[in-house]
Amino acid sequence: MDYTSKNKTEQNDMLKTIGINCIKDLFVNIPRNLVLNKLNICHGNTEQEILTHLHNVAKKNKILISFRGAGIYDHYIPALVKEIVNRSEFRTSYTPYQAEASQGTLQAIFEYQSLICALTDLDVSNASLYDGATAVVEAILMSIRYKKTKKILISEALNPEYIKVIITYFKHLEVDLIFLETTNGIIDNNTLLNKLDDNTTAVVIQSPNYFGLIENMKSLCYWTKKFNSLFIAVVNPLSLGVFCTPGEYNADIAVGENQGLGSPMSFGGTTCGFIVTKKSLAWRLPGRIVGQTKDIKGERGFVLTMQSREQHIRRVNATSNICTNASLNALASCVFLSGWGSKGFKKLAEVNIAKAKYTFKQIKSLNGFSSKFGDQTFFNEFVIKTTKDINKINKILLYNNILGPLNLSNANANAKLKNCMLFCVTEQRTKSEIDSLIEILKTI
Amino acid sequence: MEKLLNEISTCCQPAYDISCDINIEINIPSNLQRCSSLHFPNITESDLLRHFTNLSRNNYALSTTFYPLGSCTMKHNPLISEQVARHYRFNQIHPYQDELTIQGNLEIMYKLEQDLCAISGMDYFTLQPAAGAHGELTGLLIIAKYFETIKQKRTTVIIPDSAHGTNPSSAMLAGFNVITLDSTHDGQINIDKLKQLLNENVAAIMLTVPNTLGVFEKNILTITELAHNNGTIMYYDGANLNAIVGIIKPGDLGFDIMHINLHKTFAAPHGGGGPGSGPVGVKKFLEPFLPIPRIINNKTHFVFNYEKHQSIGKIKAFFGNFPVILKSYVYIKLLGAEGLINSTKQAVLNANYMLAKLRDNIDVPGGHKCLHEFVLSLKSILKNGVKTVDVAKRLLDYGYYAPTIYFPLIVEESIMMEPTETESKQTLDKFIEIFKIIIFKEMLDESDKIKCAPHTTIVRRLDEVIAARNPVLRW
Amino acid sequence: MNIPNDLRYTKTHEWVKINEQEVTVGITDFAQQEITDIVHVELPDLGKHVNINQPVAIIESVKSAFDIYAPLSGEIIKINTLILEKPELINKFPYLDGYLFKLKIANINDLNVLLSVNDYQKLVTER
Repeated sequence: MDYTSKNKTEQNDMLKTIGINCIKDLFVNIPRNLVLNKLNICHGNTEQEILTHLHNVAKKNKILISFRGAGIYDHYIPALVKEIVNRSEFRTSYTPYQAEASQGTLQAIFEYQSLICALTDLDVSNASLYDGATAVVEAILMSIRYKKTKKILISEALNPEYIKVIITYFKHLEVDLIFLETTNGIIDNNTLLNKLDDNTTAVVIQSPNYFGLIENMKSLCYWTKKFNSLFIAVVNPLSLGVFCTPGEYNADIAVGENQGLGSPMSFGGTTCGFIVTKKSLAWRLPGRIVGQTKDIKGERGFVLTMQSREQHIRRVNATSNICTNASLNALASCVFLSGWGSKGFKKLAEVNIAKAKYTFKQIKSLNGFSSKFGDQTFFNEFVIKTTKDINKINKILLYNNILGPLNLSNANANAKLKNCMLFCVTEQRTKSEIDSLIEILKTI
Repeated sequence: MEKLLNEISTCCQPAYDISCDINIEINIPSNLQRCSSLHFPNITESDLLRHFTNLSRNNYALSTTFYPLGSCTMKHNPLISEQVARHYRFNQIHPYQDELTIQGNLEIMYKLEQDLCAISGMDYFTLQPAAGAHGELTGLLIIAKYFETIKQKRTTVIIPDSAHGTNPSSAMLAGFNVITLDSTHDGQINIDKLKQLLNENVAAIMLTVPNTLGVFEKNILTITELAHNNGTIMYYDGANLNAIVGIIKPGDLGFDIMHINLHKTFAAPHGGGGPGSGPVGVKKFLEPFLPIPRIINNKTHFVFNYEKHQSIGKIKAFFGNFPVILKSYVYIKLLGAEGLINSTKQAVLNANYMLAKLRDNIDVPGGHKCLHEFVLSLKSILKNGVKTVDVAKRLLDYGYYAPTIYFPLIVEESIMMEPTETESKQTLDKFIEIFKIIIFKEMLDESDKIKCAPHTTIVRRLDEVIAARNPVLRW
Repeated sequence: MNIPNDLRYTKTHEWVKINEQEVTVGITDFAQQEITDIVHVELPDLGKHVNINQPVAIIESVKSAFDIYAPLSGEIIKINTLILEKPELINKFPYLDGYLFKLKIANINDLNVLLSVNDYQKLVTER
């Protein structure tokens, strides 16, 4: 089937208007000898057939109780978020270039930007980016353009997916990427000071970092500023209900992943990156930005603004090649953030910490399990070292419909993380689920 | 106009709440704690529902109106795709699950890659890039890696002046210098100029076919031959692939690498600006450089392969925008070969019908036939101080979203229309009638009405100058 | 259109006011009209050495961005910070409050390449 609507008579009328006999005549410029006789795609299906087929495919996926995070998190999505994001007026509209006919999307993005600013204590957010990884890339590009140097210090405790993406973007651009080693899971001031110099463009630190630990962002940022370098904070937005904000420690740019704010895990996409900065760097931001203005009657309205930064105007000199923003996911984040209230949002973060901490305490008290990084503060992820076979643990957990911890010995090939695994516990996990996890671990 | 969230905030019970069945001290050291107060609004679920529902009604959307936005392919998005994409068995999947527990997702990705190969004439696809421009960058990084591997130093990319702005900016980001190739007046490639520009430094030529005037490049085979004789890679920008699906394959025309905008040609909704998906396809010789991981069918099941040592690496965290991928998979399965071919034909028929009804009175730089879209230049018919932007805004008053204006940059006072295949003849007839009333009647009799259009939208003409001069970017 | 007599000009529509070794640089009335409403300006750093014809500043309208070229080689000794806050000054007073920067010129002979009022007048009317 297809979604065209013409009958023979109409089609003939149209051909007549055009002045040709058949549709084929419209493809005259195309090399005749290359026109296809056949397209090697199956026959079409009806909706019902599609549903049956897709239900059968979907059955091949397994839904699990997740104790795994590492960049994508199982958080609760309020019913309102789904209701709004599914509205066809948002879903089937285009990029809001015609502002007067796009006030819904524009105002929602303006509200999203405002909420991201409130959350991070910074001044200017864009309308969103592809994902957390490319948001870090864009922040680094911003810093290079601003400082005109090309030396970037990056915490090795940044999410490895992000590190891989950064390397892909920068290895051919003669950018000096220097990785900072962790000490007991976090970046030590001295490690940073040993590498910082006046040539340093920016320092990239994630907190909570890949191991779930909270870095001492205040002092890391303080020392970075002493060398006039930019400080790029990679943060989990949910954690900011409780932990010190990029604005408070004076970061220049904060970036991160919005998936946990109202978007499903969806196999790691669709994701949505945020980027937020100080006022002084606003014109260096990549991508779309919505601004408030007035119409000819003096009424408030919203438009895409500061567009002369962007690729469709500046072409080779644009601040980025990005065109898309993950608008629908940003909308989800907006609806998500607007429904908790300040206290509720803080409580949501605290529940994550409480549940993770409870799980952490239980696991490290088990025989053969210990905390890798002592009693350092973490958000909703933590690293456990074990004398047992991690692959076996995960196999047994999977048998019980549990997605167990991420095996860090596999993922990193880093000797420091041998026999280590990364657990994640969000507000979604109930006490009884956590207790069953512990019971299973006991038996291994 | 709807109030802002912070203006409807009260001291009420907010919409969402969370409980905790675990009682534990969380003890955060004071130097790590947030000290600033969080200024989030307090709004009930009912008020939030009204707020966002009202906002949605301030949008023109494909589900409410005709959207003849050139180069954007605003075709109907089948609803069944949405329903499938919301299925919890696709949604509640963590990217780091064991391969055996995600066979459904891997099968869909693998099979979509195969379908895209069949449609495009490429040999392999990656679904990792998150959007068209992201695909362009991926493709250009692959090209860079290829030349690095065969030890040739090629530093420039040739891009026509009619191209989308993402082409040159992606090329810069991939480390190339850009040479702009002037088009002929009808938007075609100037072969003589191209010959002058081609040398051992040119890594690639990026072309949009049909071009941004909606016209097929008549010398395409000569161009690809010239490029290949020079050792230059041909890059196909798939922004306009919907004009040729099932008719001809970019691979057969001599293109070596391409990206596809799934949200255009394969009908995933645009979402008010994203998320998108920009798969990249390559001929066999470029396969080693595709991003990792690749999905392999090892007969019993699907697995990830990270062992590709020449790969450019990862371009995005995880594997791609899966829901968009899934919607396009469903779309192709719905339509099948015959539906895809018919869609292409009807899209081209619709565009030519509109063009035929307008071409006698308005300049058409691309000529009197087009493929899926066409560009008009209003320059010679604008009167009484009316500009193209005013005409676009006036269309909003009649309930239509406006066509693309001022693109491509090579046409003055350009207006670009793409009806797509999913619009009926009646819709097109009505639209053309209104468009003609605006440009041939209102422009003469009521030019002031056009100049201060729109009149019926939720807000009147907005001042973009104030917005950019004194940016207010948050409440 | 205003083309003051006491200034020199470039083909790229900058004006230059010469005061011995120091010159003031801005864009012409013609240029600001072509650019339309200016919304943002990026100026070179103070103390920067610039070469003749090198792009040194950017002037942006809502839908365009324009490179501004150094009319002469030399060192940037003053930038007009006022226009960073109020870019509309360039539209209103292109030859006064809307100037861009001051330059200490490296080579006095460079002055010969600048256009006279008459040459510039001709250039604009031919367009």
